[in-house]
Amino acid sequence: MVEIVSPLEPAYRRGAHGNRDGGSRITLSETQPGSIVQLAAWPGREDAMRAVVKTVTGLALDGAPGAGAVDESSAAFGFAPGRWLVVDQAEGAGQTFREKVSADLGTVCDLSHGRTAIAVEGEKAERLLSKFYALDFSLAAFPVASAKSTAHHDVFTLIQRTGADRFDLYVYRSFARSFWHLLCASAEEFGYTVE
Amino acid sequence: MLIACPYCGPRDLSEFTYQGDANRTRPNPMSNDQSAWNAYVYERVNPAGDHREFWQHSGGCRAHLAVIRSTLTHEIKSVAFAREAAK
Amino acid sequence: MSPRRAHNGGRIDRSTTLRFTFDGTAMTGHAGDTLASALLANGISVVGRSFKYHRPRGVFSAGIEEPNALVTVIKGKLREPNIPATQVELYDGLAVESQNRFPSLSLDIGAANGLAGNLFAAGFYYKTFMGPVAGPLKGTRFWMLCEHFIRRAAGLGRAGHEPDTDRYEKMYGFCDLLVVGSGPAGLTAARRAAAEGKRVFLAEQEPEFGGTLRWKSAAIDGRPAADWVAATLAELRALPNVTLLPRTTVWGYYDDNALGALDRVADHKAHAAIGEPRQRHWTIRAKDVVLATGAFERPIVFPGNDRPGIMLAAAAARYAAEYGVLPGERIAVFANNDSAYESALALKDAGAEIAAIIDVRAGVSVAARELAREAGGELLLGYAVTSTSGARRLREIEVQAFADGKVKEGATRAFAVDCLAVSGGWSPAIHLASQAGHAPQWDEALQAFLPPAPTQSWTGAGAFTGAFSTSAALGDDLAVNEPEIEYEPAPVFEIRPTAKKTGKAFVDLQHDVTASDIRLAHREGFQSVEHLKRYTTLGMATDQGKSSNVPGLAIMAAARGLPILEVGTTRFRPPFSAVSLGALAADRHAHFKPERLTPMHDWHVARGARMYAAGLWYRPMIYGTGGETVEQAYVREAKAVRASVGIVDVSTLGKIAVQGPDAAEFLDRVYTNMFSTLPVDKARYGLMLREEGIAFDDGTTWRLGEHDFLMTTTTANAGKVMQHLEYYLDCVWPDLRVHVTSVTDEWAGAAVAGPNARHVLEACVEGTGVDHDALPFMGIVRGEIAGAPVMICRLSFSGELAYEVYCGAGHGQHVWDALMNAGQAFDIVPYGLEALGTLRIEKGHVTGAEIDGRTSPRDLYLDWMLSKKKPYIGSAMVDREGLVASDRVRLVGVIALDDRPLQGGAHIVERLGEEPRGSIGHITGFCFSPALGKYIALALVKGGKARHGQRAFVSDPVRNRYGPVEIVSHHFFDPEGSRMHG
Repeated sequence: MVEIVSPLEPAYRRGAHGNRDGGSRITLSETQPGSIVQLAAWPGREDAMRAVVKTVTGLALDGAPGAGAVDESSAAFGFAPGRWLVVDQAEGAGQTFREKVSADLGTVCDLSHGRTAIAVEGEKAERLLSKFYALDFSLAAFPVASAKSTAHHDVFTLIQRTGADRFDLYVYRSFARSFWHLLCASAEEFGYTVE
Repeated sequence: MLIACPYCGPRDLSEFTYQGDANRTRPNPMSNDQSAWNAYVYERVNPAGDHREFWQHSGGCRAHLAVIRSTLTHEIKSVAFAREAAK
Repeated sequence: MSPRRAHNGGRIDRSTTLRFTFDGTAMTGHAGDTLASALLANGISVVGRSFKYHRPRGVFSAGIEEPNALVTVIKGKLREPNIPATQVELYDGLAVESQNRFPSLSLDIGAANGLAGNLFAAGFYYKTFMGPVAGPLKGTRFWMLCEHFIRRAAGLGRAGHEPDTDRYEKMYGFCDLLVVGSGPAGLTAARRAAAEGKRVFLAEQEPEFGGTLRWKSAAIDGRPAADWVAATLAELRALPNVTLLPRTTVWGYYDDNALGALDRVADHKAHAAIGEPRQRHWTIRAKDVVLATGAFERPIVFPGNDRPGIMLAAAAARYAAEYGVLPGERIAVFANNDSAYESALALKDAGAEIAAIIDVRAGVSVAARELAREAGGELLLGYAVTSTSGARRLREIEVQAFADGKVKEGATRAFAVDCLAVSGGWSPAIHLASQAGHAPQWDEALQAFLPPAPTQSWTGAGAFTGAFSTSAALGDDLAVNEPEIEYEPAPVFEIRPTAKKTGKAFVDLQHDVTASDIRLAHREGFQSVEHLKRYTTLGMATDQGKSSNVPGLAIMAAARGLPILEVGTTRFRPPFSAVSLGALAADRHAHFKPERLTPMHDWHVARGARMYAAGLWYRPMIYGTGGETVEQAYVREAKAVRASVGIVDVSTLGKIAVQGPDAAEFLDRVYTNMFSTLPVDKARYGLMLREEGIAFDDGTTWRLGEHDFLMTTTTANAGKVMQHLEYYLDCVWPDLRVHVTSVTDEWAGAAVAGPNARHVLEACVEGTGVDHDALPFMGIVRGEIAGAPVMICRLSFSGELAYEVYCGAGHGQHVWDALMNAGQAFDIVPYGLEALGTLRIEKGHVTGAEIDGRTSPRDLYLDWMLSKKKPYIGSAMVDREGLVASDRVRLVGVIALDDRPLQGGAHIVERLGEEPRGSIGHITGFCFSPALGKYIALALVKGGKARHGQRAFVSDPVRNRYGPVEIVSHHFFDPEGSRMHG
């Protein structure tokens, strides 16, 4: 297979940056999953779609808005009524789902090239993201595994909390480099490491 | 202003796009009643008070919402998915 | 030690000396100083010149309400004008300039305006410079001519011309309780809520927390107030649920308890730390708010009340107690209330001599008398200051007996003083409450507007509520030792001597609005508070009338013979204090502006492409090679396409996945033409209208499967079309089973065009044929290029044999490289937007310049696309009378007959005159056509086709371009399309 080239490549500078007084209180990384797939169920077929997610990935999603689940190699979460994003480190999940999702259940849309996945981790992760999004990132308001759809100006973003100090962001590929620059510049005051 | 999206919860106005008056009914597509079409396309109620309107959560789940908002106070009286309200 | 600095006392750090310059003169101060306290310590009395009369002015207050001491702060090449010296924290290397003086602060030519006195009364400029009723300078034209000079004479600081290189950022905050103000009331509220486990934000506009407790002498629980502040702060700092925001001014109170706040993160430093913004703008969502914003002391209006050395009494006391600076050596106090007696004592304790305490009241409280005795100096009850003198600083005041609101005829007494501390009572800082509440309430006892009933979720505390004492602010839990003074002032706002005094009595010091200006406004009928404000500009300066508002209203009320209650007040609007535009723009500013890049962006840049911003996208305009002009470059590129083959990045086209069992039906409704009949693996050009029958967008839509379509839109309209589709699915046809998803970023697209396009594909595509049988016009095939999966559709925008090659965006560069390699044998040329535009203009294809939100499909000769077999969005209104009228502008081609370039927006006229009178249309797109060897354009012209072959003229006065043109068909080149069908 031909490698998927990251839009961040020339801007992705591994190592420690910014204010070093307190070490790195932020870690940024592009997670480069092999598959990013959107599943959309027809009204009334949401439960059946969640069952397909369980069958294919083993991830159990409850029916609440924004409910999500994460394991070592995959993640899934709801981000809109009847819509989920399923992310897998392996390629080919789109094809797997296309085979499992019938026309009367819903649709499958492969976004593996079109979305860029960025992980923001560290003690200042909540504070850093508060610079961009009008969301309450506190653990009580945004529990682990849950997800939210939001936007920073024109940069539409899906955010899943994948740990107490970690958020996985999915942004449109064309915006990714510009957003990455903003992310890095905004993390400078905390000191950050790009992995 | 906050709008309580039924999916996403209360969100800042900056995430929403106003999508127009929700009091209109689209005429039968086959209809050639020009006054009905004219009313649908151009006529608006513009009340000083409660107004039913569509807002899209464009910077969020992208669902259209049917909102009742007071044009005098910005108070939002109710929010529902437009899909359900349209049926 | 500087002349006015006390040897001890205050909260400054005398062991740290900071150097700064004022108008280029080197001075020093200490850590903890503001610029205002440091200037006073250096004996500087004149800090600026006034707005209109250029009168010398000194420091008047110690806080955000400062009307006089505005300076320009200079950092490197950047100048920030109109900053109150009371708000500038001293740092080593600070450089400031005084304002509104020419040529210098001590010698100011404009001060002659002061001698011309009454000429410059309110409304003077508008009345005097009103132009004649006829002629070239009639009416406002004359005013506009004069305004230029007037603005130079009257004004504030000068902004710089250098771009602002500072960093700003935004931040969103969520809390259970936002406490605004950290005086005794604010600290108490924060402490209580924090103890209950609430998420608390405490915002303080000054650098240090504590408010009046930093300089008042009150003792709390038997220890100095400052110790209690330190202990409380230590407690709050240790709590994880408390966020302390010093230097943060809450400036706006918006719906649903959203508050705007400006955090001046690094303004007090010579250099911001790494990654630190200069200022951070907070949007705070608070479940509840406690407004503990305190109160502003008011001046009393009397003749000569603006002389340097005259200042608010509490401010004078604060300079002495907090900064160890004496604002004068021999000080008089002038008051209508008890609080000034506390100030007098504080000044005395710091080492000043109190010459006299002058009070308009005949009798005062026991506590006040006791304070006066301790402070020393003569106590003159029933007296008022009626005159002052001194050129650059106060030298002498005159007092006269005063009773029943009037100055009594009789002898005057003079006091030689260099400072006069004035107190005219207190006004609660109700600005935020006024933004989030009903009309403020006038309180007769306190002679002040009290906070209104809330319309949002806030409560008030402390002096903000009119409870001015420290014990009231702290509540009942703590024992406070402070003098039991009475805060109710005598209702005296202005002193009007009976004798013909010449001195001006200022109400609004910053805008030079005098008491007589207000009476003039009254005489001329501008009597409502809203008219008063606009006619005199009272309260419209950068301080927004924080100290002048109530005295101004009181003077108008007196003129009208009404109580202040009935005159009312204007509503406070945001911002409470100045907010820099940089902080509001923040992440939209400079290089933080979001941009969209295609997968092949870096290649374009490396190949010398000149990039063009198309919305947020960056697209190659031309690929420049050694010294070519733009025209030479695009002509070369367009020629290469027609001669052999070219390649263009089309990844920016909007792409929407339209999926589901009802997808075809849905497309039939949104497009004017039929899509349900489109076979799988075929594409079709489609046109969308808006409901009113106006053209909206166009593009090709590809049927990838029975239930699976890929719609393309124009680059500019991608977002709008997406929203349009979502609207109809959610709000109009919720029963259709269709999902739409933006996949613009999923696909990279390259269009390969030219007579050799097929040969290029043949050389690199695997897994499918690309000959005319396998891939007919508008057909779609799937295969691989260099191992990457691709989807190829044979369609043409250039009029040549052309293919659009789509692949996953992450493979975009890889596939592009392979196409370039395969094209080498055919001298493939990458082309940019200019050549793309040239090729489409030659073909007469429309884009956003023609689909401009006003044109109907008929105007564009696209009526062949309007299906008669089915309704679609816009079908009911597309045949309306107005849209089929014969005088509508319609699409034509235009050829320049003088061989000179045409330009967009230029008018087309039938006869050449000086102005484009009788315009019959305008040019929408233009180029030099290599195919025709002429300058050509597309235009929208009345009559359209009927004018083909006619002579007309281009008329473009803005660019001074006039000349003859011929109107022709918009299909300039290969109208039969034989090249495209190859």
